[in-house]
Amino acid sequence: MHKPANILYTVDEVPPLGVTLMSGLQQVGLISVFLLFPLLVGREANLTDAQQINLLSISMVGLAVAAVLPALRIGPVGAGYLAPAVFTAVYLGPSLLAAKVGGLPLVLGMTVFAGSVGIALSAAMRRLRSFFPPEIAGLVVILIGIKTGTIGVRYMLGIDTSGPSSLAELAVPMGSLATMIGFSIWARGYPKLFCALIGMCVGYAIAALIGTLGGVEIGRISASPLLGVPSIGQFGWAFDYSLAPAFTVAALAACLRTVGNLTTCQKINDADWVRPDMRQIGNGVLADALTTVSAGLLGTMGMNSSPSAIGLSTATGVTSRRVAYAIAAIFLALSLFPKAAATLTVMPRPVMGAMLVFAASSVLVSGLEIINLRLLDSRRTYVIGLSLMLGLAVDFFPGYFASLPERLHPLTDSSLALGMLSAIALNMLFRIGVRRTQRLIVDPEEVEASNIERFMTSRGATWGARRDVIERATFNLEQSVETLASSGIAAGPLEIEVSFDEFTLDIRVSYEGLPLELAQKRPSNEEIMASEEGERKLAGFMLQRLADRVSVSQKGDRSTIHFHFDH
Amino acid sequence: MARLDLHEESVDGVAILGVRGRVDTTTAPQFGARLTEIFQDGSRGLVLDLHELEYISSAGFRELLLAARRADKVARRLILCSIPGKVQQIFDIGGFVDLFSIAASRDEALNAAR
Repeated sequence: MHKPANILYTVDEVPPLGVTLMSGLQQVGLISVFLLFPLLVGREANLTDAQQINLLSISMVGLAVAAVLPALRIGPVGAGYLAPAVFTAVYLGPSLLAAKVGGLPLVLGMTVFAGSVGIALSAAMRRLRSFFPPEIAGLVVILIGIKTGTIGVRYMLGIDTSGPSSLAELAVPMGSLATMIGFSIWARGYPKLFCALIGMCVGYAIAALIGTLGGVEIGRISASPLLGVPSIGQFGWAFDYSLAPAFTVAALAACLRTVGNLTTCQKINDADWVRPDMRQIGNGVLADALTTVSAGLLGTMGMNSSPSAIGLSTATGVTSRRVAYAIAAIFLALSLFPKAAATLTVMPRPVMGAMLVFAASSVLVSGLEIINLRLLDSRRTYVIGLSLMLGLAVDFFPGYFASLPERLHPLTDSSLALGMLSAIALNMLFRIGVRRTQRLIVDPEEVEASNIERFMTSRGATWGARRDVIERATFNLEQSVETLASSGIAAGPLEIEVSFDEFTLDIRVSYEGLPLELAQKRPSNEEIMASEEGERKLAGFMLQRLADRVSVSQKGDRSTIHFHFDH
Repeated sequence: MARLDLHEESVDGVAILGVRGRVDTTTAPQFGARLTEIFQDGSRGLVLDLHELEYISSAGFRELLLAARRADKVARRLILCSIPGKVQQIFDIGGFVDLFSIAASRDEALNAAR
């Protein structure tokens, strides 16, 4: 693992206590924005003011658990990253529906069900990998980035409120966002670290100056009690089979989102990152599902790892998992102070919007980077392109999708759900007719290297193989063919067979002739310069270094070189 | 496009050889011959601009090693610059990174070669 230049404290580094606490506070500021979702669900369930405050306090306990579980590395639980789960738009639609149908008990019962589905999915993660390739995880991250950014812009501009923001009111989100971005780009040290928190405070200050934050909000804070222990389990739990599909789709979306988020975590913490560690990701998915189960048992709605929080940690350069414990401690403390909870709930909507837009920018770019790791052919281009457009159509034309039969709504009322399901379905459909093994015959008398490169690149794109693996494999194939042809080892045509599945890429080059010598030790420079024999030894040495495994075998008068690449 | 395209210029007495395409068994003799000529023509140093290099095999590395030895003999500097990422990986695994003077950009290489 190699520390990236833009990260000050990577996952296993221990920042000074002050940095840890301030980073935790900054994350709490961002995560608190998402307390809006349980508040909306509570309102839909017709909770009283006191019940609403209790719901918020319980939600804070849930957020403490949700910060710690993903940061753990205990057996199969936790990927060990700073990837706190937050209340999410993924569960908002189904939870609002459940609140309407059966009140908060049904929301809580179905949330436990969704978490259980997530646990089952985490166990099947590896077997399901070919159905959820990284480009689909990247698409999910992009859709979430767009969704988060759209909500942010909506809040910033005052859309859906009593009237759009005046120019003076726009100063709140614009000042807040400009501060965050400005400090993120040009500041150094602590101001850069805490750019989002500083921007949030600037937003509060401007709101107070222009009078949009004042007496009413202070009155609401005063009216709430100073101290109080949240009451857990007061609502009970219920289950309704008819809501199971909606919560299952949400759990699947949450699972994919976590795959994308943890892939991002692995990437931002290691400059040498080349491939997702699926075992670690499976552990992270299990931790994420457990946060949702615990949320339902505690008495709040479902949660999911937050690309915004990961985006914030990337933007500030503090990705240490120690910050997760600071987040948990702060939320646990806050849960005991209803007044503090009330203070958070008066955060001006435009400031929430600025924070969401700030975080969404990093999320979007992460999604694009994940997709770009793969070679994309026309099949995969359509999987991504069509699914992205279909997902966005839900947000652009909500009226049309609302007019569809009600039983389809669980699948069509969210851009994320529809975009993701479309990508999964198209990915399965387009697998039809894709041969997993391809052959190429090369005449050693007339080697045309560009044909080999074209062959490998086009096969890689059809299979959706990782760009870096195809590049290494292409070099090995070209170098081995070149060596066999120029040395005269091979008599007659070279038969090349390339096989791919989601986990491995295997290349076999077979020919009539003696096996190629694979040097275990690099030949000296003098040996290389002295003769073509030295040059061949260098070739054999490099072939071994680039592949994950290389073997040579001989059967009768035919020899085979086998290159194996992990994928 | 030709398999290997070499284009040469001179800045302040330093020869710059742009290498485009592939240096493999077929093209390595042409590459090596050109490098030999440059060291014979009295240039103060040689910058190999590799930003358009697509592929280099063991045959190409052999020519580079021979060129470095010639440069040492005639007390000239040989600087490689702008190596693309996927080619850089081949330099890494072949153990060539520490054998040559490598610059990130052409300007940096020119300064080093003067």
